[in-house]
Amino acid sequence: MRRLLRADSILLAVALLIPALDLLLAAIGLGNWAIGNEVCQRVLVFAILGLGLNVIVGYTGLLHLGVAAFMAIGVYAYAILTCDIYPFRVGFWGAVLLAPAFCALAGVFLGAPTLRLRGDYLAIVTLGFGEIVQDVLKNVDGITKGTQGINPLPPPSLPLYTFESSVYQPWYYLYLAILVGLILLVRNLEASRVGRQWKAVRDDELAATCMGINPTRVKLRAFAITAALCGLAGVLYASKLETTAEPTTYDFNVSITVLCILIVGGMGSIRGVMIGTAIVMGFDMLLKKVTEALQEAGLSSSANVFATPSNWKYLIFGLALVVMMRFRPGGVFPAGPRSAPPQAEEAR
Amino acid sequence: MSLLEVRGLTMRFGGLTAVNRVDFAVEQGEIVSLIGPNGAGKTTVFNAITGVYEPTAGGVFLGGRDLQRPFEARVALGVAAIGLLTGALGVLLFHLEPLWAAAITENYEFRKSFVWSRAWSGLGRYLAENAGGVLLGFLIGALVGAAGAYVVWARQRRTPFGIAGVGVCRTFQNIRLFQEMTVLENVTTGMDLHLRSGGIQALCRTPAFRGEEGKTCDEARRILEFVGLLRRAGDQAANLAYGDQRRLEIARALASRPRLLLLDEPAAGMNPTETSTLMKLIAAIRDRGVTVLLIEHHMKVVMGISDRIVVLDYGTKIAEGTPDEIRSHSKVIEAYLGKDDSS
Repeated sequence: MRRLLRADSILLAVALLIPALDLLLAAIGLGNWAIGNEVCQRVLVFAILGLGLNVIVGYTGLLHLGVAAFMAIGVYAYAILTCDIYPFRVGFWGAVLLAPAFCALAGVFLGAPTLRLRGDYLAIVTLGFGEIVQDVLKNVDGITKGTQGINPLPPPSLPLYTFESSVYQPWYYLYLAILVGLILLVRNLEASRVGRQWKAVRDDELAATCMGINPTRVKLRAFAITAALCGLAGVLYASKLETTAEPTTYDFNVSITVLCILIVGGMGSIRGVMIGTAIVMGFDMLLKKVTEALQEAGLSSSANVFATPSNWKYLIFGLALVVMMRFRPGGVFPAGPRSAPPQAEEAR
Repeated sequence: MSLLEVRGLTMRFGGLTAVNRVDFAVEQGEIVSLIGPNGAGKTTVFNAITGVYEPTAGGVFLGGRDLQRPFEARVALGVAAIGLLTGALGVLLFHLEPLWAAAITENYEFRKSFVWSRAWSGLGRYLAENAGGVLLGFLIGALVGAAGAYVVWARQRRTPFGIAGVGVCRTFQNIRLFQEMTVLENVTTGMDLHLRSGGIQALCRTPAFRGEEGKTCDEARRILEFVGLLRRAGDQAANLAYGDQRRLEIARALASRPRLLLLDEPAAGMNPTETSTLMKLIAAIRDRGVTVLLIEHHMKVVMGISDRIVVLDYGTKIAEGTPDEIRSHSKVIEAYLGKDDSS
């Protein structure tokens, strides 16, 4: 237990020190290798997506392949609620509350008719939902501006401070703080009656039902929470990017990447999700940086595909997944049962 | 009035009649056994009582009340509300962009203040001008939503969780624990019916929530102590020995504070020592005021603790009575040992 707590603190410490590391790299003339900005834009956002997907896949045991759709809904809800070309203009914090609520509602609307489906069938439905949302966002261009995307989107706002896109550190710490807050909230839920219901439905739905648990309601709640978290991830993503980008940004690849994060890190364990995000997204970033460095050194060009490490991305990633499944099928940090509260030790 | 009354219970699966017009009753405070050769329909009766299956015919009554949920005004209201909601969605489905244009785009100038009343009137104007199309969208949406909601409700008139809510709880023939949870969590999950704190309270860990969790934990420990599993409280359920898993299932069922406990072959796979502990446990459960209905093949258990025995064969009830009566009942002997052709 103490060892695991230490793992948490190390992870947090690393996350806190990344901007400092960037300063150090810049000081010794390796500014190109700075990663903080991208960690903020991608890793922290994907960590929230992973946290969300973990609720439905890890805790409740339902395969959900449409988290990108809820991220997209979050992104567009943020855009419509805050961008000056619309009349709402509720500001960053208003949208942080409203957009996830809207996503949760959308999750309930998708979930209510489909949650009676099991396993593969539910996966197909969520997959289809992901495609539909993309198409709708693309084609309802009277509202969403179609493939142009909506911009500019406002940055976060704090009293006494204005966020500027050239200085990423404040965004970084704000997003990190939000992530940590969300982790604590999800952990509270997991350790409560709500979490027990999720796991009971996952482990044995019939037995859970016979214990008086209404499985549809339990799944619906998990679905809504996943949708809300993914929507919030979308809000943060769009706010940092300052545009919604085009709807195809939120495609199936995003959903699968988040699922890979869970598989690599360990399903049903928040710690695993964080490690998984660091590995999957970190690997991606590292390859990109190496590619850039090689290009600068003249060792690689777009003409020579083999000398471009980012082209090997999927090869390495696929291999790593295979090896992973063979030697550590539960992920890096598999979820174990929570250790018993101290009284149990005394009773021994 | 009997605690449980099964009246004319019939279960058909396609052409197979698994249970045929079975009647029996269980009185408050009794231990009643349901026995019969393999495939006699005992577990099917359990499934029909606990709502896993919907009986083809006949009924199950608990304390004189039908376990089927009645059609109330509340249900009609709920269906209507869902219909309205999906109706509104239907309108949006057909008219989203023009509605948006009429309400928002036409009334908003870049960075000027927005007058909401104009948006509402624009919305109203559009809806009035396109009444036909709007009504069509609304009707389609409302019809689909209301019909769907009603069908879902009708199929859930008798659900296991509803029946557990009125105090009937069960164990399973092939153990169905929550494998990846700890022993203690299995029991606290069983208590879920009686917990009141909601998601928001859990999110913020309010004092009320923590108090309830503490109490839940204490009660779970007491139940584990009662079945003799307290020292395994922190272990993962899947790692328990077979006999312990059976006892944990009973503990989990007890945690829901049932009036009637259904045990499906609790002694299956137990050795003689474990079996006699189990018999003591079942007697102790009865002494706590819980009525027990059990399916069992171990005749030692059945004869040793039952107040009454109901015998099923090929889905029909062939005998009912005290252990002594059953032991010498000709039809029962015939069902178990076959007919004596020489007579």
